[in-house]
Amino acid sequence: MTEPLLKVENVVVDFRTVAGTVNAVRGVSYEVARGETLAVVGESGSGKSVTARAIMSMLAENAIVGAESRITFDGKDISTFSELEMQRLRGNQISMIFQEPLTSLNPIYRVGDQVAEIILTHRPMSKKAAMAEVLKLFEEVRLPNPEARLSQYPHEMSGGQRQRVMIAMALANKPDLLIADEPTTALDVTVQAEILGLLKELQRSHNMAVILITHDLTVVEKTSDKVVVMRYGEVVERGLTDVVFANPQHPYTQHLLASEPKGKPDALDPSAPVVMSSDKLRKVYNTQYGGFFSRKNYELVAVDDISATLHKGETLGIVGESGSGKTTLAMSLVRLQEVTSGAIYFDGDRIDQLDRAAMRPYRTRIQVVFQDPFSSLNPRMIVRQILEEGLIVNGIGKTAAEREALIKQALADVQMPADAMQRFPHEFSGGQRQRIAIARALVLQPEFILLDEPTSALDLSIQAQIIDLLRELRRKHDLSYLFISHDLKVIRALCHNVIVMQHGQVVEEGPTEQVLSSPTNEYTQRLVDAAFNVVA
Amino acid sequence: MQHWRGVKQMSTTTINMNAEANQNTSGLSYWQLVRRRFMRNRYGVAGLIGCIFVLCSAIFAGFIAPYGVESKDRKAIYHPPQSINFFNEDGSLARPYILGFAEEMDMNTFEITFVPDPSDRHDLSLFVDGDSWSFLGMEFSTHLFGTTSGAKFHLLGTDSLGRDVFSRMIWGTRITLLMGILVMGAALVIGTSVGVASGYYGGRFDLVTQRIVEFVKSFPDLPLYLALVAILPRRAEPMTIFIMFAAILVLLRWADISRELRGKVIALRSMEYVRAAVSVGASDKRILARHIVPNTSSHMIVWATYQLPEVILLESFLSFLGVGVQAPMVSWGTMLNQVRDFQSFAAAPWLMAPVAMIIISVLAFNAFGDGMRDAMDPYAND
Repeated sequence: MTEPLLKVENVVVDFRTVAGTVNAVRGVSYEVARGETLAVVGESGSGKSVTARAIMSMLAENAIVGAESRITFDGKDISTFSELEMQRLRGNQISMIFQEPLTSLNPIYRVGDQVAEIILTHRPMSKKAAMAEVLKLFEEVRLPNPEARLSQYPHEMSGGQRQRVMIAMALANKPDLLIADEPTTALDVTVQAEILGLLKELQRSHNMAVILITHDLTVVEKTSDKVVVMRYGEVVERGLTDVVFANPQHPYTQHLLASEPKGKPDALDPSAPVVMSSDKLRKVYNTQYGGFFSRKNYELVAVDDISATLHKGETLGIVGESGSGKTTLAMSLVRLQEVTSGAIYFDGDRIDQLDRAAMRPYRTRIQVVFQDPFSSLNPRMIVRQILEEGLIVNGIGKTAAEREALIKQALADVQMPADAMQRFPHEFSGGQRQRIAIARALVLQPEFILLDEPTSALDLSIQAQIIDLLRELRRKHDLSYLFISHDLKVIRALCHNVIVMQHGQVVEEGPTEQVLSSPTNEYTQRLVDAAFNVVA
Repeated sequence: MQHWRGVKQMSTTTINMNAEANQNTSGLSYWQLVRRRFMRNRYGVAGLIGCIFVLCSAIFAGFIAPYGVESKDRKAIYHPPQSINFFNEDGSLARPYILGFAEEMDMNTFEITFVPDPSDRHDLSLFVDGDSWSFLGMEFSTHLFGTTSGAKFHLLGTDSLGRDVFSRMIWGTRITLLMGILVMGAALVIGTSVGVASGYYGGRFDLVTQRIVEFVKSFPDLPLYLALVAILPRRAEPMTIFIMFAAILVLLRWADISRELRGKVIALRSMEYVRAAVSVGASDKRILARHIVPNTSSHMIVWATYQLPEVILLESFLSFLGVGVQAPMVSWGTMLNQVRDFQSFAAAPWLMAPVAMIIISVLAFNAFGDGMRDAMDPYAND
C-alpha cells in the first residue's frame, strides 16, 4: 500500500466556553491516500467538522488543540506550521468546500474574479492567463455557458451552480487533498446527485485524496472507499466502506445503519370520510421590478390550481424541491396564509373566506408542527407556558390544575417526562424540542396536523424516532396528517398517498408505493433516482 | 453549545432518551449564561462597579455629601481644595487631619491667596453630625465624613458663594441621573410602543409611522434644543422647567429605538413560534405581549445602557450653556456653568470637578452597556 497523503494522529480539540470546557474531539486518528475517498460520518456534534477544520488550522478562537495532536501531510508535520506557512498550503495543496454555497461566495465580486484571485494568490501569472484557467475550470465543473459565467455575480446563479463555482475554486490550484464538508446538504436532491457525481469524476481525473464529511449514509455508501464513523468526538468504527456497511461491528454503527427510515404506513380504511380538501387552490405573488418609470409587474404562481383530498386517518405526503410551492400550499390549507382563489373545506365547512376570529373554533382542530424546532419554540417561555398557551387562548381547562393534567398527558404522549414542564426549550436537544412541538399540537386534541418537514432539521437516528412516534400517535388518536418533505425515504415510511410538486403544479399523485416504484413523470423519476441511488 | 451537548446526550433508544432528559439538568438558564459571560469581561465589570458607585452617590447623596446644597461658608469664597494629611509635621503617622487656611492678601496685586495654617488643625472622622438631610421621609444628620470639631472641610474647594463643590457635585448626581433615567425611560416606552406596533402591523400604518420617525430624526438636534428651550417659560418653577426640558429631549430621542425595534419585530414576526401561536388561535395582543416584546428585551436593555450616558452628556452640555436645568436645582451641567468664563476658570480650576464625574459615569455606563451587549449576544457560542 502507498504511503498515505494525510495522516491525522490523536487529534484532540477542546473549546473553552462559559459553561466550562467542551471536549469536541478526543483523540481522532485517520489517514487518506491519493486517489482515495474517505468518508467521515457522524451526527451533529460528533466532531467531524471540527477535526477537518483542525487539519486546515481554521478553528475558532476559543479552541485548544491538544499537545499530542499530530497532522502529517505529504511527509511534513503541518500541526507545527505557522499561520503564514498554512496560508501557503490552504487553497493550494489542501482545499476545502463548505456546506453553504449561498454564503461562501462574496456577493459583491464577479465569480470569475473570485476564482482567479485564488490562482493569483498562489501562482504568479498575468490576470489574463488566470482568467483563461478559470474558464477551463468552469468547463471542467460543467457550468453551462462558462464564458458568460465569468462576469456573473453569485446571486445570478442557482445553488447548484454556486456549489460548482466553489468546487472550481477548490480545484483551482490542483490540490492534493480536497476536504468536502457536507457539500450537498443545502442542495436539492436532484442537484445533490449531480454534484456528487462531478466530485467523483474530478477526483479520478486529478488523482486527489478526498475527505467527505457527511451525515448521509446513502452518500457514503455510493461514493467512498473507506469510512470513519465518529461519535462524541471519537472514532467508533473504521474500515472499507463495503465491509462496514455489510457487517458493522460497533453497536452505534449498527444503530446508525438501522435508523434509515423504514416500515410502511398502516393500512387505510377505504370508507373513511374526507377531512380536508382543496378545490383549485391558487396563490399568486405579485412582484414589481424594473426602474421607477419602467415598473413591470411579475406574477409568480406559487400554487397553481391545486385540488387535493385528505381522508380521516390518512397521511398525505407533499414532496418537492425548494421553490416548488409545497410549503405555500400547506400553509394556505391551514389558513396561515391567504390564498388568491379556490376553496378549502375542512370537515365539510368552507374555511377559506373566514377571518381570524371566525377561524378560531377550527384552530384547535387543525394544528401545525413546524420544520425547525429551534425557532418554533419561544426561547423566553418554559415548556409549560408553551403548551398552555393554546389551552388558555381557547378556554380549554378551567383551572390551572386541569390544564396541567392535559399538558402532562400530551408530554406523556410524546414520551417526554413531566418534569420537562419547568424548563426552557434551549435545555433540550433537537429531537426533544421537536417532541415538545408535537406535544403543543397534541394538547389541543386536533383531528388534523400539518407536519412541515418535521424531521429535516434532525439527525438520522432521531429522525427515525420521530417517525415512529408520529406513526404511533396517528394510531392512538386517529389523526390525519399532511406531511411535507423533500425526503422520499421519509415519505415512503409514513405516507399513504403522495403528491409530487414542481413549479407550483402537481406533476404526479397517487398511492406512495405506486408513485415511488413506477413513476410515470420524468421529474418524479429523477427525484426517485436521486433519493435511492444517489450517483447515476 | 447547549444544543451540542443536548444532541450528545440523546441516546439511542426511546426509553433511554427519557432517562437522559432527566439528567439534563445542568443546563444554564439564559440569564445565568449572560451573567457568566458578563463576569468574564473585566472592562464590563469595572463599568458595572462605576455604575453602582454613581447610582449610590445619587441615592445616598445626603449621607455622602458633607454639607447641604445651599449651605454656604461665607468665610471661604473660592476656597481651594483642602488635602487630607496622614503625617504629623515630624513625619510620624497621625490620625487623618486637615489644616485650616489662612487668608493672605498680596499687597501689590490685592490677590487673595489661601495658605495652610499649621496651627489650625482639625481631625477627620467617619459618621459625624452635620446638616440634616432626609431620605424616604426620614430625617438624618449623620454624614459619611467630616471634622470632629465641626470646622468646615472643603475636599474640592468652594465656589463664588462659598458652597462646597464636593457636596454639590454629589447632590448634582441626583438631578443629572434623574434626567437621564427619565428621558431614557420615557423614550424607551414611546419608542417601543411605536416601533413594535409599526413592525407588527406593517402595511399603511407602518408606512406612515416610519415617515414620522424619519421626520423626527431629520431635525438638526442642537439648534432645535436651543430653540425649544428658549420658549420655556422663564418664570416657572424649576421643577416644571426640568420636566419640560426632559420632555423636549424625549421628543427627539424615541425615534432611534423605535426604528431599531421595528426591524427586530419584523424579523420576529415571521419566526415559527409566532406562527405557531397564530395557529393555536392567539390574539394579536397576546402575541405581542408574550412572544414579541419579551424577545426584544435584550435589545432594549442594551439600548438603555447606551442611552443614559448620551443624555447625561447632553444635559451637562445644555445646562453648561445655561439653557438646561435652572438654579436652584443642581446638576453637573449647572455647576460647570459657573466656570464658563476664562477668568473664573483660571482663578478656581477646582470648579471643573464635575467634569471628572461626567467622564466617570459616561465611561462606566458605556462599559457596562458594551459588556451587556457582548454577554447577551445570542450568537456568542463561547
